[in-house]
Amino acid sequence: MRTTTRTKITVALSLAGCISSQGAMADQPKLTVALYGGNWGDAFLNCVAEPFTKATGIAVAAEVGTSTTTLAKLQQQKSSPAIDVAWMDGGISELAYAAGVIADLDPAAIPNLKNVEEKGLYAEAGHTFAVSSGFYSLGLTYNTREIKEAPTSWKDLWKPEYAAAIALPSPANSSGVPFVFFMADVWGIDRADLAPLYSKLGALDTALFSDSSGAATNAFQSGEAIIGAHFNVGAWDLIDKGAPIGFTIPKEGAWATDARLHLIKGARNTKAAEQFINTALTQEAASCLAGKLYLGPAVKGVEVSQEVARKLPWGAGGSIKDLRLFDWAQINAQRASVTNDWNRKVTAK
Amino acid sequence: MKRKTLAPLLMLFAALAFFAAFFLAPFAVVIFASFTQGADQAFTVDHYIRVLGDQYHWDVILVTFRIAALTTLVSLLLGYPLAWYLVRVVKWRAWRRACVILLVVPMFTSNIVRSFGWMVLLGRKGLVNQSLMDTGLIDTPVRFLGTELGILIGMVYILLPFIVLAAGNALAQVDPAYEQASEDLGASPRATFFHVVLPLTMPGIISGSIMVFTLAASAYVTPALLSGGRISVLSMLIFQQYSSVFDFNYGGALSVVLLIFTLVMVGLAGRVGSVRGSNQ
Repeated sequence: MRTTTRTKITVALSLAGCISSQGAMADQPKLTVALYGGNWGDAFLNCVAEPFTKATGIAVAAEVGTSTTTLAKLQQQKSSPAIDVAWMDGGISELAYAAGVIADLDPAAIPNLKNVEEKGLYAEAGHTFAVSSGFYSLGLTYNTREIKEAPTSWKDLWKPEYAAAIALPSPANSSGVPFVFFMADVWGIDRADLAPLYSKLGALDTALFSDSSGAATNAFQSGEAIIGAHFNVGAWDLIDKGAPIGFTIPKEGAWATDARLHLIKGARNTKAAEQFINTALTQEAASCLAGKLYLGPAVKGVEVSQEVARKLPWGAGGSIKDLRLFDWAQINAQRASVTNDWNRKVTAK
Repeated sequence: MKRKTLAPLLMLFAALAFFAAFFLAPFAVVIFASFTQGADQAFTVDHYIRVLGDQYHWDVILVTFRIAALTTLVSLLLGYPLAWYLVRVVKWRAWRRACVILLVVPMFTSNIVRSFGWMVLLGRKGLVNQSLMDTGLIDTPVRFLGTELGILIGMVYILLPFIVLAAGNALAQVDPAYEQASEDLGASPRATFFHVVLPLTMPGIISGSIMVFTLAASAYVTPALLSGGRISVLSMLIFQQYSSVFDFNYGGALSVVLLIFTLVMVGLAGRVGSVRGSNQ
């Protein structure tokens, strides 16, 4: 018994060693891009990385993670970043700029910046630190097999028949903290005193508070959740795959945010990184992302089919002007306190 | 003679260098962060006061260690008989080998995949609930996900091999002559087990339990997935501070608190083990 166990452990350890050393073997020049998982990552690779590699011959290595984990990595690697370009959501983008890990986007090096709508360019004191790769919205997602009539209000989440099957974003999710503010508006609760909202949220019998968009998608797919807040990107992906899911914008509206591209300060391959961002800002890439993720393009003059237009965050006939965006400065200022209060008053109710 | 002492030292150096580079250095960064604040990195103990002066954190610490202790206990109750079966009952070597492989192979798969497996099994519409409903035992699905029970099931599954391997090793080392002597002297099988075999395998049980307990107390993936964000353990609070609030100072203090509590618990378990050992 002893020898067999020991042999097994030795074999296990040496195998693990082989697997982990594989990553170190490639030494051709390559660009490391931080992006999200699931259908997001697939679309970014397909719509941006592939044409980029085709044009430049530079391989792209994907560093998969949510926006928040990407920022945590960037802060830890500040002195010598391993990431060249990073996609991060609105809100986290501002935090990253404040943390000093983001370099300016130079219109001379990234000529396609001039094709981007004003709403998709983020600048502070003359420094352009982020550019939008497309907008998405958070609406109500529901299981059409269990809920026959589309919900019309965010307040429907509190209906007793949905107990134990509700999915909401947790504060670890980049949409978690803004969701709290959004729900405060829905219930007419003062943003400065969120206590009444926490007791409302704490009273909800949720199936889960999802840490990532992927976790929410999984919950809707498995039937663990039958109603909840989810992004159009994840919901339409499920619907397109034939899952019995519906996505609706309730009467109080939906709020939108975007996935933004950033050039990392001190990146090893700044030139290639700028080329990569330039590729992402072409009409082809934006239209490809709209087609795959239903991201509302921030690039001007992108043509999409009617079917795609209907699923964009501003819906058929809408435009970028219709989006309800957030004041991220206010949200980021309260991020720590909202997280703390959520832990105490919602999770540990 | 000199060469004889040099070789172990060199081997020890490699281990120490590895330990220093991959544990001590990053840990020093965490400790440093936990005692500083602001851009000028001024010394402060505020983060610790904030952690320990707040009832909420004590509740989370209690949940964390309750889950870890229950995981250890259940793993022991399931693992020891399993180890006994493998070492004492199975006579056919090929079958024993197959059992050990079955036990170890899941460890090649990532925790995430295995925890996802449990999410599928334990969900509202999962296999467990469907079977219970089909047999008419329950009318509405039992809630496993998002409960301590769900986390416990996942943790026991993932950590059970450690107990089986440690206890199995200890059992294999017990000379059957002791048991024969005990039997010859008139002890019942029960008395022989409790007075001879169990004390002799105690070091294995203790080392297995310590492994399981420390891994369970610091586990992140399994509780994060199976709790659905409805229950917090200390590792999840740490992750939240590092990955979404970006307060590395407060997160660092939480990490140090988790480590110290775990070390104290392990130290206590070690004492229990050595007291038992000296009784032999």
